[in-house]
Amino acid sequence: MSLHEPLFDYEAALDACARGERRALERLYEQESARLLGVAQRLVRDSALAQDIVHDAFIKIWTGAASFDKSRGSARGWMFTITRHLALNAIRNNAREVQSEDDEDHAEAQATLEGWNETVDSFDWRVNPGRIEFCLDQLEPVRRNCVFHAYVDGYSHQEIAQKIGAPLGTVKAWIKRSLNALRECIG
Amino acid sequence: MSNTSGTEPQTPLNELAGEYVLGTLSVQQRIEVERRLPHEPALQAAVDAWEERLLPLTAMAEPQTPPPRLWARIERSLDDLLAPQQAVIRDVQSWWNNLSIWRGLAGAGLAASLVLGMTLLTQSRSTPAPSYLVVLVAPQDKAPGWVVQASNSQEIQLIPLSVTEVPADKALEFWTKGDDWHGPVSLGLVKPGQSLHVPLDKLPPLQPNQLFELTLEQATGSPIGKPTGPIQFIGRAVKVI
Repeated sequence: MSLHEPLFDYEAALDACARGERRALERLYEQESARLLGVAQRLVRDSALAQDIVHDAFIKIWTGAASFDKSRGSARGWMFTITRHLALNAIRNNAREVQSEDDEDHAEAQATLEGWNETVDSFDWRVNPGRIEFCLDQLEPVRRNCVFHAYVDGYSHQEIAQKIGAPLGTVKAWIKRSLNALRECIG
Repeated sequence: MSNTSGTEPQTPLNELAGEYVLGTLSVQQRIEVERRLPHEPALQAAVDAWEERLLPLTAMAEPQTPPPRLWARIERSLDDLLAPQQAVIRDVQSWWNNLSIWRGLAGAGLAASLVLGMTLLTQSRSTPAPSYLVVLVAPQDKAPGWVVQASNSQEIQLIPLSVTEVPADKALEFWTKGDDWHGPVSLGLVKPGQSLHVPLDKLPPLQPNQLFELTLEQATGSPIGKPTGPIQFIGRAVKVI
């Protein structure tokens, strides 16, 4: 269905890794390392650390290949999941920010978009045709930006609030609403 | 909180999973989620669903071609992963090769089982390291089936490495014989797949090269007190330094 992706059998490669075939891991590396490094680099904003993360991810892929469960998701997705969470743990562990305790009920009241309707997209996000693009399109640009800053840039709530100049509680409420909307839309 | 549209009982779980995957949880919350995941299938399923939903967004990050040294580094780490295992195998092989009965038996499967056996031994309680070790292999294909360990000269432990098939009307009998003994002595019947503790207080102390074997006998054991059936597994004691 997807025309720009060569046919590559990720599951077969993982199975081969589980059997100890190192060449299979190398093929996965050839296939995805640039994209994984791109994802990690964007999250941690440090090329040496990003390479450490991709290194650790491939070791995890190798040692975890036997326990990969395809009923839980795609093999390719699993590789990105491992890489992203290694990167997220790295940046959250390094973060020195104070977590302010927001009153969630109060945050709900702050979810208004009043004053934010003029915000335009900060991301070139129409990269992936399919359901998610349609659903993202249903969100207001400012809320879409919050989702991208979090998922792609790895920004915390506080960093997003600073970045876009909105109150923290508002950002939290927007993200919560956006996730609910995406879940209902994508299914 | 009261009028959030689409609020369902499982919403908090989905929100937690969504923010975990999105990346907006604090480090403490991330640790908490990762601690809960193996025990909570519902949370795991919610996280899995979010991973798949948001996966297309990974395409928004510009790919970065890694330097060639990154793969070389990964390969070195893979080598290092294997190194401790191979070190044990080398140690085993060094004494292994000194004994004629063991010659040429260092197959990978055997080696892997030895590592498993050794791991079992070192992990079992906090007993001192065994002073004698015997790997019992099948005489035909040399497949290892049992490990014997002795932490002192008064008791040995027989530990299965796999489940041995025994016909219903037969039993495995455990025997030992020192170099200067007149014949093998029975150490009793063995249940396939089960460990056995055997006191050696009626026997002379364990000695290097002491023979151990399991033979197939009638269900009540050998009627004459000496092995009568075919040898299933055999090995000799090696002193562990």
